[in-house]
Amino acid sequence: MAKQRVLIVGGGLAGLAATMKLAELGIAVDLMSITPVKRSHSVCAQGGINSVNDQTRQLGDNEWKHFDDTIYGGDFLNHQPPVNEMALWAPKVIDLMDRLGVTFNRTPEGFLDRRRFGGTLYKRTAFAGATTGQQLLYALDEQVRRWEVEGLVKKYEAWDFMSPILDDAGVCVGAVAQDIVTMELRSFRADAVVVATGGCGLIYGRSTMSMTCTGSAASRCLQVGAKYGNGECIQVHPTAIPGADKLRLMSESARGEGGRVWVPRTPQDSRSPKSIPEAERYYFLEERYPAYGNLVPRDIATREIFNVCVNEGLSVEKDRQCVYLDLTHIDAAELTRKLGGILDIYQKFQGVDPRYTPMKIFPAVHYSMGGLWTDYQRTEEGRLEVGSPKNQVTNIPNLYAVGEVDYHYHGANRLGANSLLSCIFSGLFLAPGLETLLKNVPEGQAAHERPQSLYDTALAKQADRHQSLLKNTGGENPYLIHQELGNVMTKAATVVRVNEQLENAIGVVHDLGERVKRCSLSDTGSWSNQNVLFTKALQDMFPIAKAILKGALQRDECRGAHYKPAFELPGLTSENYEERHQQAEQWCDKFQENVDKFLKSTIATIDADGEPTITYEEVDTSLLPPRPRLYGLVGADIIEKVWKERTSAKQAAAKAAKAAEVAS
Amino acid sequence: MPVLRSKPLLLGQLGFVADRRQRGLQVSNKPGFWARNEFLIRRLHSLTGLLPVGAYMIVHLLVNSSVAVSPETFQRSVFSIHALGALLPLVEWTFIFLPIMFHAFLGLAFTFGASPNYTEYRYNSNFRYTMQRATGLLAFVFIAWHVFHMHGWIHNDAWRHLIAGYGGMFHPYNAATSAAHAMQASVLYPVFYTVGVLACVFHLSNGLFTMGITWGIWISPKAQHGAKLVTGVFGLGLALVGITSIVGLYTLKNFAEIREKENTAYELLVETGDIPADPEKRDLSADESLDEAPPFEGAAAPKADATEKPAVSE
Amino acid sequence: MIAHSEETPSRPKPQSFTVKVLRKNGPGQPSYWAYFTIPYEPELNVISVLQKIAARGQEDGGKKCAPVCWDCNCLEEVCGACTMVINGKVRQSCSALIDVLLDEHGSTLELRPMTKFPVVRDLMVDRSRMFQALKKVKAWVPVDGYYDLGPGPKQSMAAQEAAYPLSECMTCGCCLEACPQYSKIELDQQSGESTEAFQERKAETFDANFVGPHAISQVVLFNMNPTGEMNKRERMDAITDEGGIQVCGNAQNCVAVCPKHIPLTRSIAKIGRDATFHTLKKWFDWS
Repeated sequence: MAKQRVLIVGGGLAGLAATMKLAELGIAVDLMSITPVKRSHSVCAQGGINSVNDQTRQLGDNEWKHFDDTIYGGDFLNHQPPVNEMALWAPKVIDLMDRLGVTFNRTPEGFLDRRRFGGTLYKRTAFAGATTGQQLLYALDEQVRRWEVEGLVKKYEAWDFMSPILDDAGVCVGAVAQDIVTMELRSFRADAVVVATGGCGLIYGRSTMSMTCTGSAASRCLQVGAKYGNGECIQVHPTAIPGADKLRLMSESARGEGGRVWVPRTPQDSRSPKSIPEAERYYFLEERYPAYGNLVPRDIATREIFNVCVNEGLSVEKDRQCVYLDLTHIDAAELTRKLGGILDIYQKFQGVDPRYTPMKIFPAVHYSMGGLWTDYQRTEEGRLEVGSPKNQVTNIPNLYAVGEVDYHYHGANRLGANSLLSCIFSGLFLAPGLETLLKNVPEGQAAHERPQSLYDTALAKQADRHQSLLKNTGGENPYLIHQELGNVMTKAATVVRVNEQLENAIGVVHDLGERVKRCSLSDTGSWSNQNVLFTKALQDMFPIAKAILKGALQRDECRGAHYKPAFELPGLTSENYEERHQQAEQWCDKFQENVDKFLKSTIATIDADGEPTITYEEVDTSLLPPRPRLYGLVGADIIEKVWKERTSAKQAAAKAAKAAEVAS
Repeated sequence: MPVLRSKPLLLGQLGFVADRRQRGLQVSNKPGFWARNEFLIRRLHSLTGLLPVGAYMIVHLLVNSSVAVSPETFQRSVFSIHALGALLPLVEWTFIFLPIMFHAFLGLAFTFGASPNYTEYRYNSNFRYTMQRATGLLAFVFIAWHVFHMHGWIHNDAWRHLIAGYGGMFHPYNAATSAAHAMQASVLYPVFYTVGVLACVFHLSNGLFTMGITWGIWISPKAQHGAKLVTGVFGLGLALVGITSIVGLYTLKNFAEIREKENTAYELLVETGDIPADPEKRDLSADESLDEAPPFEGAAAPKADATEKPAVSE
Repeated sequence: MIAHSEETPSRPKPQSFTVKVLRKNGPGQPSYWAYFTIPYEPELNVISVLQKIAARGQEDGGKKCAPVCWDCNCLEEVCGACTMVINGKVRQSCSALIDVLLDEHGSTLELRPMTKFPVVRDLMVDRSRMFQALKKVKAWVPVDGYYDLGPGPKQSMAAQEAAYPLSECMTCGCCLEACPQYSKIELDQQSGESTEAFQERKAETFDANFVGPHAISQVVLFNMNPTGEMNKRERMDAITDEGGIQVCGNAQNCVAVCPKHIPLTRSIAKIGRDATFHTLKKWFDWS
C-alpha cells in the first residue's frame, strides 16, 4: 500500500486527530485546509471536554450515564451505537490529550480538574482555562507537525476543497481543490477522502462560527450525491456577545463556574445592574428549573432567554435584545484563573470588565448538529466495530466525514463539551477503518492506478465553473446576498420556528438562490481572488440552506434545538389527581405518536438544480428507549411516572416474547 | 506613490554574520564557520562587553577620576600600571585592544543587521534597545577619536609630527598635566568627552542589564525589574565617576607645580627601578607655558617651539 | 487596559472616517494607497470595516476596485489569522475597535500589511516561516503513540499555570513584526527549480535565520512538560543553532505587543539560562 494516500479535508480537531492516527498506522496523508490548520475553528471552543472520571464514578456516574445524558440531551435523534462508543472512549480520549501535553487545569494534588457543564449533574468536564478547544487543537497540530517532519503527512494549507471526484461506479477516488493564493486548480488522487470541514454557521450571516465555516465543503459533497442528515438541527448558543461582524461566544463555562442569568423585573430598568437589589432581579432560569438552574441544556436556556426578551419584553436594553450574565458575585482572582480567556474576550470586544459588571448576552447560532450522513458498523451489544471501513463513511464509497460536519453524534441538540469529544473521537476512530479499507482495495482500483481522464474531467468541470464565474455580468453583489441570506435564515430557522415563516423563507431563499447565480465579481483577477472564492462558497450555501428550511418545515414537532411552539405538547392543566393522571396518559399517547412519526433522521439529497428532496430514516434507538424531555414542564413528574410504567411494561412484554420464543 | 520602508538588509549585507543567508541563495547543507558558531560568537560578544571591556572601562574611569582627588593620586595609579613595563603592551593588546575591537566590529555587524523601530513601538525597553545600538556606534567613534586624541593611534615619529597638537597628547609619566592639557586644549573637548563617556556608560550599564537576560541571570519580570534598577544605579554612579574625571582634568590648575612633582616622582621611581625609563611616555613641552590659559578657540595650535627641547638625561 | 465603558469619556464621533489601505496586487507589484470613506456606526471593528469595503467594491471617487484581500477566521482573537499593522502598530484586526481607534487617532484609519513577511496580496502575508520555526525547535511532546496508555503524568497547579499562558500562542506574528532583530525573508521560486526543491530551500533559509520569540517560548513550554522534557536536549540544540536564541537583542517589544500577554521575555531569559548550561554541558561532557 506504498502508494496509497488518504486525503483529509479540514484541519480542525477531527481532521488532525484522523491525520495523526493514520500517520501512526503508517498511512500517508495529504492534509488539506483552507486556512493554516492551527487557525481552524476548533480554537474557538472554550469550555471543555466531557468524560466520566474517577471522581464522578464514585458519585454514581458511569459511561452509560454519559451516553444517556448525550442521547437525552439530543432528544433521541442521535444514533445510539456511535454515541455509546464515544462515551466509552471519552476517558481514554482525555488521557491521550493529557499525554500530548494539553495544559488542562489541575487540582491541588495534580489531577485533572473538572467543571460541571449543561445537561448533566456530574462534574465531567476537563478544561484548559477557557480556551480548551485551542489547547486541544494545538496539541494535535503539534503531533501532526511531527509527522510532517517525518514525511508521512503532507500539508496543503490555503487550499479550498472544490469537489470530490467519483468514478463511474460512484466511488470517491480523489478531489479537486484550488490554491487560494495562486488560484491553481488541481486534482488529488486519494484512496479515501475524509471531509472534516466543520459547521455551516455562515449560512446565518453572523454566528459564533469562524469565517471558514461556510458549509461549502459539505455542500460540494451533497452536489455529487452525498446525503445530508438532520440539517434543521442547528444549535443556538444561549450566551453570545452581539457584535457587528460576529456574535462572539460566551462559553457555557461562565455558567458552569457559577454565572447567573437574570433580567431586571422592571422592563429596561435604567439603573446600573449592580445597584438593582436581589428582590428586583428575575433569575428566570433558576426559578423555572430549580434542579439545573443556570445549567439547563442549551436549547432550553436559549429558548428561555429568547422568550424573556421577545415575549415577556424584559430585555435589558430597549432597542437590542439581551439579558445579564452575572459573574460579579465570584472573586475576581478566581474568575481570572478559571475563565480568564473568555472574560478577556468580553472585555476586549465590549470594553467592559465582566468581573465587575454583568455581561450582556443574547443567543446566537453556534453548532450544526446536522451534517453529512455517515454510516457505522454496529456490534451485537450496541457498540461500533473497531476497524470497520463502514464507520464514518458517507453514502458515497470512500468518502468519509468526521467532526461537526458529520451528523450522527448529537441528535437534535448537542450537550456542552461534547463537541470536542465527538471531533477527536470520530477522527481517531476513523483511522483503523481506513486502514482496513486501504488493505482491501481490489486490484487495479487504487487511486494511483485510476485513469487520468477521470481526474482531468473533474478538473475541467471546476475550471469551467471558475471561468464562468469570473465572466459573469449579472450585476448581483455576493456580499449583499450573503447578508440577506443571513437575515432570512436567522429570522426563520433559529430559536423559534413557525411554518408560515419557514414557507416564506423558502421562497425568499429560492429567489436569492437564483440571484446568486448572477453574481458579478468586483475582482476578476487570477491571484488570491477572495472575491471569487467567497462567491463560490456563497453559492454552495444555498443547497444546505434550503435543506435546513425544508427539513425544519416538514418536522412538525419540537425536538431538541428544533422548536415549533405550534406543535409543542402542552403541560398538564388539571389539579385533580385522577384527571391529571388521565391527562398524563393522553400526553404520553401523543408523545408516542410523535415518536413514531418524527423520531427519524431527516435526510436531504440535492438534485441538479440544488433543490433538496427530504426523506426519513429510522434512528437506532435500540439501547435506550425514547423518553420525553420534560425540563420544566408542568406535570413532568406524573408524565414521567406514566411513561416509565409504559416502558417497563413494554420491556417486560418483549422479554416474555423472547422467552416464549426460546421455549418454543 | 507611498514611501515604503524597506528596512532589512541594505546594510545587513555588509554584516558578515547578521542574516548572511537571508537571501536563501546558499543551499549548501553545511553552514559556514560563522553560522555553525553563531551562538558562541554572540555569547562571546556579550561576554567581552563586560569582561574585559566593561571591567577595563570601570577601572579606567575610576583611575581617571582620581585626578579630582589629587593629581598625585592619579599619577600614582598610572605609575603602578606602567610599572608593568615591557609587559604592558601585551596586557593592553590581550585585555583591551583586541577585545574592544572584537566587541566593536561584531557589534557594528549586528547593529547593521537589525531594523530598529522605536518610531513605531515607543516602549521603554525598545528605547533602550535603540540607544544600546546608538551608544555603541557613538562609543565606537568616540573611542577611536579618544585613542587618537590621547595616544595618537600609532607610535611613529613622522606620524606624531603630523598630528602634533591634535593627537597623542597623553603622556603617562606626566599623567595629570598632559591629560589636563589635552582636555583643556579646546572647550569642545570636555563636551566630546562628556557625550562619549555617557554613551559608553549607558552602553555598559544597559548592556549589563541585557546581558543578565541573555545569560539567564534575571528571568522573571520581577527580577528583571530589580536588575534594571540596580544596573541603572550602577550606570548613574559610573557616569558620575566619568564626569568627575572630565571635570577634574578640565579644571586642573598649577601645571608647573604639578609637573615638577611628576618629574621628581619619575626620576625617583626610575632610580628605584619601579618603572622603566621611557622618554616617550613623558611630556617634554615647555613647563613655563603650562600655566598659560589654554587656547580656548578651536584646537590648540601645535606648539612647535616647545617640542624640540632635548630629552632630559636619565 | 480597557476602562469601564460607562466611565470612559470619548471624543464625539465623526459622521464618517477615512480608511487608508496600503494595497499590493501581488508579489513583485508596486504598493499603493487606496482610500475609503466609511460612515460611522457604533461598535465597528476593523474586520467589519473591511467587510463593508468588500461589499461596496469601489474606492473613494467611485473607481471600481477588488475587495481588499486579508486573512481572518475566528474574529475573536484566538486563531491568530488577522494580524496587520493598524495605525502604525501590529495587532489583530478583529479586536481593533473603531471607537477606540477614533478616540486615539482622530478620523483616519491606516491599514498596512505586516512588514516582516512577504505580502501575498493587499493585507495578506505569508507567515509559513513561523510554522517552520515550530518544526525546527521540535515543538511537540514526543509520545510513543496514540493508543490508550493511561493518563499523562500528574502536574502541579503551579506547573499548569506556568505552561498555560505559553500554550496560548496563536502564531499570529505580532511579536515578530515588532522585533527589530527579525528581518523579512522573501524568496522566489527560481526557473527550473521544482516546488519541492523550492520548499526545501525556503525551509533551510528560514532555519538559518532568527526563529523569533514565539518559537523560543514554545521551547520553554515543551521543555517544561514532563514528557516533553525527555527531548529537551534536541530542542536546546535547535535553539542554540544558527538563528537561535542568541539573535535576540532584548528590545522586549515582543512581550509588549503580544495580544495574548504571553511572558515572552521571561521565556527568552529562561532559554538564555538553559542555553548557557546546555553549552557548558556539551563542552565539558557533563551528563
